[in-house]
Amino acid sequence: MLSTLELSPQTLDAEAPVRIAVKNLDFYYGEHKALKNINLDFRDRHVTALIGPSGCGKSTLLRIFNRIYSLYPEQRAEGQILLDGRNVISNDVDVNELRSRVGMVFQKPTPFPMSIYDNVAFGIRLYEKPPKSELDDRVEGALRRSALWDEVKDKLKSSGMGLSGGQQQRLCIARTIAQKPEVILFDEPTSALDPISTGKIEDLLEQLKTDFTIVIVTHNMQQAARISQYTAFMYLGEVIEFAPTNTIFMNPGKKQTQDYVTGRFG
Amino acid sequence: MTMTTAANPQAEAHIPWGRVRQGRRTADRAMKLIATGFTFAAIFVLFWILGMLLVKGIGGLSPATFTQVTPGPGSEGGGLANAIVGSFVLTFLGIAVATPIGVLAGTWLAEYGKKSKLANLIRFINDILLSAPSILIGLFVYVILVEPFRGYSGWAGGVALGIIAIPVIVRTTEDMLNLVPGPLREAGSALGAPPAVVITSVTWRAAKAGMVTGILLALARIAGETAPLIFTALNNNFWFSPTLVGGVSNLPVTIYQFASAPYENWQQLAWAGSLIITLSILILSIVARRLVAGGK
Repeated sequence: MLSTLELSPQTLDAEAPVRIAVKNLDFYYGEHKALKNINLDFRDRHVTALIGPSGCGKSTLLRIFNRIYSLYPEQRAEGQILLDGRNVISNDVDVNELRSRVGMVFQKPTPFPMSIYDNVAFGIRLYEKPPKSELDDRVEGALRRSALWDEVKDKLKSSGMGLSGGQQQRLCIARTIAQKPEVILFDEPTSALDPISTGKIEDLLEQLKTDFTIVIVTHNMQQAARISQYTAFMYLGEVIEFAPTNTIFMNPGKKQTQDYVTGRFG
Repeated sequence: MTMTTAANPQAEAHIPWGRVRQGRRTADRAMKLIATGFTFAAIFVLFWILGMLLVKGIGGLSPATFTQVTPGPGSEGGGLANAIVGSFVLTFLGIAVATPIGVLAGTWLAEYGKKSKLANLIRFINDILLSAPSILIGLFVYVILVEPFRGYSGWAGGVALGIIAIPVIVRTTEDMLNLVPGPLREAGSALGAPPAVVITSVTWRAAKAGMVTGILLALARIAGETAPLIFTALNNNFWFSPTLVGGVSNLPVTIYQFASAPYENWQQLAWAGSLIITLSILILSIVARRLVAGGK
């Protein structure tokens, strides 16, 4: 079973600095404690995968990094998430500034009801007023980077809603990277896509990690094995094991991890 | 199906053919027949009204209907020009009053108030207002805008129509915004857009077709309202003042007065006016439907 997993050639740099440090993090949905004492380090320009059965808290954790949870008043986090030394869950961090540094791509593609060009320019226009030519360049650059440029360069003015699901998801990635974030969060970005579109997104993730620190939540263990350098296995709101992806899949330290990655439960 | 059935086909526990009772099939057909029958009954009434309007209304239509003012008692001929223009102005005023209030209130309910107690209270009151007798709203505006200024006016009429349109727009705006998927709002927020930017440039855009439809439906609703105008804009058999002070002629009250009058030409004009209102509302509804279809 284990040998059937194709593991990515591990370009893991153990010396890479820590970009995000999670310390003693708890999270509550109202009274319900959904995350218990999470401690994790996310390395700069590496892909870290969060895996675990449904309801284990992996998406919940992801949604804390950009404080998207704070849209919902009954949800709250306690503890520390240090991004470049600042605790992003403290109230003195401006959420909108944080979100311009920490981008997010969702499970279902979320193109805005506007042209392809305006979709990509949306995030740039929020915080910068670049001249038209520079904006054009950045939109083109982001679309090229997302492997979408060749498919849309002749219809930048048409609606982003008219693209296929896979193209829409790459449009959302372009929109996120156009803003030049440091970290990109992916919340099961391929679970609504067909295998070919999934392959394209996975190739893209491989490219993107040269510039961005990536955290990805995935239900698909093969995907985690293929694209990530580090993997955290979560269960019932706790991190059971966190290690380089090779270790998690080939030589896990805990029996629960082994059972999960070999498909015995989850 | 148990394991023994599968293992032993000769066993008696097989599923008999024809176990769907004949009665069930008959009941199914009867249900379909009754539902179809009543649908046609409803459509029949609708077409009857439309047919009668067409037959009687077209007879009263002439170029003069659109160029001449409403005739006085006992005088020959005449048209509905002042009533048509007056109705147009009053309806426009009403929608101008109701659109900003209705859209913003609906937005507050969907985006800010959500499930809070205050929002639920406002929703409840809005539902009451939605079904309030329109004559009551006419009386209310009479007390606050006609009595204090000692006279009827188009402004009072516009406000009365606006009050009737507001709950319709609040409701449709909220419903349409609630149809916008949550992840779309989250995606806007995740790019660092403050809530106001997310609402105005993402959520409203996504719900635009539905929201415009709601406004058009409200327009159609108030275009034919009579009761609120009787106490506010009243009516006028001449061209009304451009300041809209004093009675402002309008189609619904004109129809009400002319239809119950003994003069032949008045009755003709009442039919013509009814046809004009109905056709306008029909066209508005078609435009609204087109917009919804185009928005998808």
